[in-house]
Amino acid sequence: MSCLIMRWWVAVAWIDQLLKEGAKRVDEVEVFYAEGVAISADTKRRNVNLAIRSDECGLGIRTIDKGRIGTSSTHNPKQWRECLEAAIASGRLATPQQWNGLPEQAVPDTDILCYDPSLTPDPQAAYGLLEQMLEGAAQHPAQVTSGSATLSSATDVIANSSGLRSISRHTGLSISLEAIQGQSTGSEFAHSCFFDVDPPAVGERAAFLASQSAGGKDIASGNYDILLSPIAYAELLASAFIPALSARNVHAGRSCLANHLGDDIMDPRLSFYDDPHRKKGLASGLWDGEGMPTKRIDFIRDGSLLSFAYDLRTAYRYGKESTASAIRNGVSGGTMIGHHNFTVTGSRTDVEDERVIYINSVVGAHTANPMNGDFSVEISNAFWMEDGELQTPIRSAMLVGNVFTMHKEIGGISDEVRQIGPMVLPSIRLISQRIIGK
Amino acid sequence: MSEPPAIRYYDLRQVTGQATLIDIDNDVVESAGTSFFNRAILRVLGPRGWGILEIDNYTSGSKKKFNSLLASASRLASITQQDVHLSDAPYRVLDVPAMREDPRDVSIEEKTEMLAAIELAARNPHVVNRRANYIEQSEHITFSDSSGHEFSYEICRSGFNVLAVASRNGTVQMGFERLHSIRGFDLRHRQEYGEHAAKIAVALLDAGHAKGGRMRAVLDPELAGVFAHEAVGHASEGDLVQEGSSILAGKTGNQIGNDRLTIVDDPSLPEFGFEPFDAEGVAVQRTEIIRNGVVNAFLHSRETLAAVGNGVAGHARAMGAEPPLVRMSNTFIENGDAPFEEIMEACNNGILLKGSRGGQVDPGRGIFQFNAEYGYLIEHGECTNMVRDVSLSGEILSTLHDILLCGNDRAMHPGYCGKGGQSVPVSDGAPHVLLDNAVVGSSGVD
Repeated sequence: MSCLIMRWWVAVAWIDQLLKEGAKRVDEVEVFYAEGVAISADTKRRNVNLAIRSDECGLGIRTIDKGRIGTSSTHNPKQWRECLEAAIASGRLATPQQWNGLPEQAVPDTDILCYDPSLTPDPQAAYGLLEQMLEGAAQHPAQVTSGSATLSSATDVIANSSGLRSISRHTGLSISLEAIQGQSTGSEFAHSCFFDVDPPAVGERAAFLASQSAGGKDIASGNYDILLSPIAYAELLASAFIPALSARNVHAGRSCLANHLGDDIMDPRLSFYDDPHRKKGLASGLWDGEGMPTKRIDFIRDGSLLSFAYDLRTAYRYGKESTASAIRNGVSGGTMIGHHNFTVTGSRTDVEDERVIYINSVVGAHTANPMNGDFSVEISNAFWMEDGELQTPIRSAMLVGNVFTMHKEIGGISDEVRQIGPMVLPSIRLISQRIIGK
Repeated sequence: MSEPPAIRYYDLRQVTGQATLIDIDNDVVESAGTSFFNRAILRVLGPRGWGILEIDNYTSGSKKKFNSLLASASRLASITQQDVHLSDAPYRVLDVPAMREDPRDVSIEEKTEMLAAIELAARNPHVVNRRANYIEQSEHITFSDSSGHEFSYEICRSGFNVLAVASRNGTVQMGFERLHSIRGFDLRHRQEYGEHAAKIAVALLDAGHAKGGRMRAVLDPELAGVFAHEAVGHASEGDLVQEGSSILAGKTGNQIGNDRLTIVDDPSLPEFGFEPFDAEGVAVQRTEIIRNGVVNAFLHSRETLAAVGNGVAGHARAMGAEPPLVRMSNTFIENGDAPFEEIMEACNNGILLKGSRGGQVDPGRGIFQFNAEYGYLIEHGECTNMVRDVSLSGEILSTLHDILLCGNDRAMHPGYCGKGGQSVPVSDGAPHVLLDNAVVGSSGVD
């Protein structure tokens, strides 16, 4: 254990007191405590408009008593007694369920996966990132409208009355830029846990998309082969596909995949898995939000549905094993079922060899129907692509489809992958998708 | 340590309070509890731009401590380059509308029982999942600035959502109802919301897909409100106009819709987006964004009003103690004079769209998209087959000319709007509206 970690445990000695007090009242207590600082700077057009320092801390308490789960949270750790009281009161109202205990196994303190000691939240660093993005954007004839750079550092503590204690540190860097030329917009972003992003490339891409999309042509309604960039693909997967893999939704009747375990549900060239230990993964972790040790989860292998994502609550309720898929929703949020680095893989092909409509992003993915996967969205920065080159831009059109059936209509996935938040995705070519022209 | 640069202005906004959440899923009370928050934001305007501190668990202390915070924020401001100016603005505090019944006077046990009754009302042989949530957030907001203004208020927003999921032969559909208000506790005897959610979910099992393409569309008041929000509201936000990312920039005085069309944002209206004063302490008031089809005024903060002009400040809003952004509040299309029957008759053949699953806009490009919960085909002025999963998309500068008729039955609907990572309570509303040349996104074909 490092000296720094030792010092941290001394600083949060009140957690032991909380656990001791709580254990007198209920069967089990769990504490999640996080502290962090973020510095960001925003530019309006080409001038930095503001700089922000945000100091955050949050305490989340969960109590379990005879299968009744209670929760509460607060920004103020000094109020832990009131928070504990509120969690216990909350548990009295909850419906009791089967509960087999919080994890006891010791998990190592770690900062190896998502922590960069050279990444210090600092306004000058944020300013420098903005400057570099602006330099990149100057390569194309587009006007920068806004941009942002954020550097953050946080420490999470998870502890429970069964003896689990763990601390993890993580850092983050996010940059984004938006540009416009006439009525044509473009944007780009990059996120990392390390100081390894390429700000000029982000600026260049935003300005490129804005300028290259200008003068777009209309397209007639019909069925076309399309190539979704990792950004567009992530938007559709996150809105309608991934919720269907949550075991809570599966057992509650909110997933159309519920009765298809073991079935071939998509093209056999595709596999979906969660990779919690990915090097430099944005959502990598050795344990989940409940302290369960993480491991790879194969949701879909070679087109066949193999597994759903479970946290402890759902696993105990339905007699299953946790897949260590509990994630924390913000500093003081409770746990929910999610994923670490959701990864799409399969046999790679040249997805750009034949004429195709390239779609960089979509507008309105969140309006997709999460129950059946149907979506109809506006496409953004879309182009006719030939021999891998973006050609004529498409002015405006809608893409209509279904996020489940489209995976049976694939033409291939690209060699290159991109990390989009907690997802690692290729570009995906889809055959004969419906486009509504204007 | 270097001397902090001069301070032209500062303001301090603190938000404290508590949130009560109840979640019932298929008869199981998953959670029913209360959480607490206390967060402040200190904004300092240096020689050029802003330096901002966001602080958890803020407590007002000594003058020395406050000066130290001002100095920290001022140092942050030293990296800024943009010459930010603040317009003058009126200051006035509106009374928070009285609540019929204070939710905080009702025990969480009672609330849980009432919510369970609504969830149970969604029971139906084809409904495989029922879920209901109750959300109650009470906030105490204090504001002070270097000009000597000091205001505070307390507001409690509460309401519920109920979801029913129906399934048959592998088809899964949902119905969703919600009721949120600033006017007090409204969970008693609301079982009809659960029943309606179930009815829609089951009916959608037999609904087909509309044919995609251009057609006439009748939008119900909820969806037409979202249309106003997405098609006009965002593009009128002064920060987007200032950045050059709104297609309405430079269009003041231009006719972009028919001369009977007026679109308004009004944070003083006692609806879900109400605020007694805005996040800069400025008086709130009605702003007519579009008046008789003409671009009339933008929504502004003090900064964007000074930079852009044309409009009024008082439209800066924030999620909790986040930095203020120019936002909509209660946005609506004013009533016209067409009865619903006339609208349907004028539509003749087209589609009636009801409810909203949300929308999104690219204001620089002038393109928007929004999604209905369900709809009906209209044939010879009559509703016929039910359809599902229908989106509309359009272009801001042309679509308002395509509003042919506005009804006389405006209704407001509560919701939340996201921008810059912040979600704030809003309401949208309209009467029934007849839209020509609507681009319908749906998977049906001839």
